[in-house]
Amino acid sequence: MKKRISEYAARSRMTVRREPSVREAVTGAALSFDGKRRRAYGEVDVEAWRRWAEGVKNHLLTHLEDYLAEAEARLEAGGARVHWARDAAEAREIVLSLASDCSAGSVVKGKSMLTEEVDLNPALERAGIEVCETDLGEYILQLLDEPPSHIVGPAIHKSLEQVRELFEERLGTTPASGPDDLAQAARKVLRDAFIRADMGITGANFLVAETGTVALIENEGNIRLTTSLPRVHVALVGIEKLLPRMGDLAGFLQLTARAATGQSIGCFVSLIQGPSTQPGDDGPEEVHVVLVDNGRTDALLHEHAWEALRCVRCGACLNSCPVYRQTGGHAYGWVYSGPIGSILGPGLLGIHEAMPLPFASSLCGACGDACPVRIPIPELLLAWREEAQRRGLTPWNERIALAGLARMAERPGLYRVAGKFGTRLGTTALARKLPMLGEWSRDRALPRPSPSTFREIWHGGIE
Amino acid sequence: MRWGEPGARDRILERVARATGSRARHPHPGRLRTDTVTDPVATFVKRFTSQGGEVMTPDPHQTPGDWLTGFIAGLDGDMKGVAAGADVPAALQPSTPGAAPADAGAGISVAWGAVAETGSLILPSTGTRSVQLLPPVHIVWLPAGRVFARLEDALLEMRPELPAAIGVHSGPSRSADIGRTLVTGVHGPGRCIAVWLWERRADP
Repeated sequence: MKKRISEYAARSRMTVRREPSVREAVTGAALSFDGKRRRAYGEVDVEAWRRWAEGVKNHLLTHLEDYLAEAEARLEAGGARVHWARDAAEAREIVLSLASDCSAGSVVKGKSMLTEEVDLNPALERAGIEVCETDLGEYILQLLDEPPSHIVGPAIHKSLEQVRELFEERLGTTPASGPDDLAQAARKVLRDAFIRADMGITGANFLVAETGTVALIENEGNIRLTTSLPRVHVALVGIEKLLPRMGDLAGFLQLTARAATGQSIGCFVSLIQGPSTQPGDDGPEEVHVVLVDNGRTDALLHEHAWEALRCVRCGACLNSCPVYRQTGGHAYGWVYSGPIGSILGPGLLGIHEAMPLPFASSLCGACGDACPVRIPIPELLLAWREEAQRRGLTPWNERIALAGLARMAERPGLYRVAGKFGTRLGTTALARKLPMLGEWSRDRALPRPSPSTFREIWHGGIE
Repeated sequence: MRWGEPGARDRILERVARATGSRARHPHPGRLRTDTVTDPVATFVKRFTSQGGEVMTPDPHQTPGDWLTGFIAGLDGDMKGVAAGADVPAALQPSTPGAAPADAGAGISVAWGAVAETGSLILPSTGTRSVQLLPPVHIVWLPAGRVFARLEDALLEMRPELPAAIGVHSGPSRSADIGRTLVTGVHGPGRCIAVWLWERRADP
């Protein structure tokens, strides 16, 4: 997908004003996810779980070269083939050449944010390969030619009515169809795609170094089918997705499910060690794992950004975010939206490319509390804001205002005068004429300021 | 031979090593102590059924095969035959006519074991994946005595001899992608039925 991050302000405004249905659908879905997460966190000693998960990921990220080498060796010992991609172009090239090796005419895909990140689908389609997204939400979006708007529920911005109209037009369902009928109609089309496909492409939730296990979490069964029916399975894995040991996986599968959807585990978990070799196993003859960097080593080398690489893509921070809930993910203009996207963006793409994402937050802190791997998202947003400020990337009016404030704060006389002026200024009528405050006070009465400044009270003596 | 630019692997590993060398190495925190499960069987039944799974106890006076034949005859809808996994012994198969997994009305598997804390069945790929996934109903023989309290216990027990793939099934296929309404049987089986298998199977 084309990056449109710099248009964040305009696109979020447009979403809120012109597409009220998006706000309604996203807020409803996100609050429902968030409520389920809170309940599921409450059932376990979640603080101990989160500290443990943070510790495992910190251990992994500070020993990553060893674990990458171990994962590669284990996978190859099990008959899988490992490929390395430094960037999106290399990742696409590897998958295209694998597809051409097996003369793939059609491909089925499990939901994968990494394949969105590296723009895989358009590249496959340009090569004449039919691509079919098989997650129900992703399938809806593929029909609409839209990118996902949420890490876990890619189509949460669509209402039942919108899906009903879409399926009526494209799949010939009746206007009275309920969710069950619509899902069955999609199942029929997709079942056929599974049986025809030459290649299945997925991402990975985790890759266990100790055993060379690619782990995938889902609820529909489409990922199990994608990794089982086609002759070739290709998994794209970000290098930060590793886990040291099989025992770690047990904890992460449960914590991720609780954080994402409030379940104790996903309905289906696939644990893949390699191609099918044993009698009775009708799985793929070839398994390929593509380890993708695409900015991850840049983030790993950065003083702050590396902490964001603990992310397990559960979407809990999106659901908890009052800013995300107003617009959904599309306004952010990039594959990872919401709080985590606003710190992964600068980490993976560089702060220039990711402006103004670190500012798309009220810093309320809910995301940090929700995060299952305790990424200090609000602190990282602030760190990126500081970096943007240092590099002169913030808007000119903000820079002038802040420079003015700094000058005033350094001069006690000027500060006193400004303070006095401020106490007399606070009438709503006047505020309405000011930038920003004007917009805010249109429907609100401005609080009345204290009649005297703090300094005046101080000098008058405090009882 | 590896794909991509020659040296992509070494370049990535070199950059990773530079990053890890620049900061303190964190120790591994050890094992996560998830909650203690005092009665694994009861916990499994409770969790698995709360996730939409079903648990059946066959009639002890019947052979497993006869019981299953009767059970399948009582299933709703048009039974187009059953498909059994390659590792299902003849004694655990019904006398219902067979069908290819893509056409079958039910798939029959034998679980390697189950997990109490997550309400999960563990299905190795040697049991024929299409049988576990394509039919609308999935019937799984679950050897009693193979219910592990914790997921970690089960995974560590499997670790020395991992099959090519493992499916961990914790109820029927579901989705809420359309209008946030829960729908079952989206891609995988719409019914997932665990059936207690009392006598311990002889190891193959």
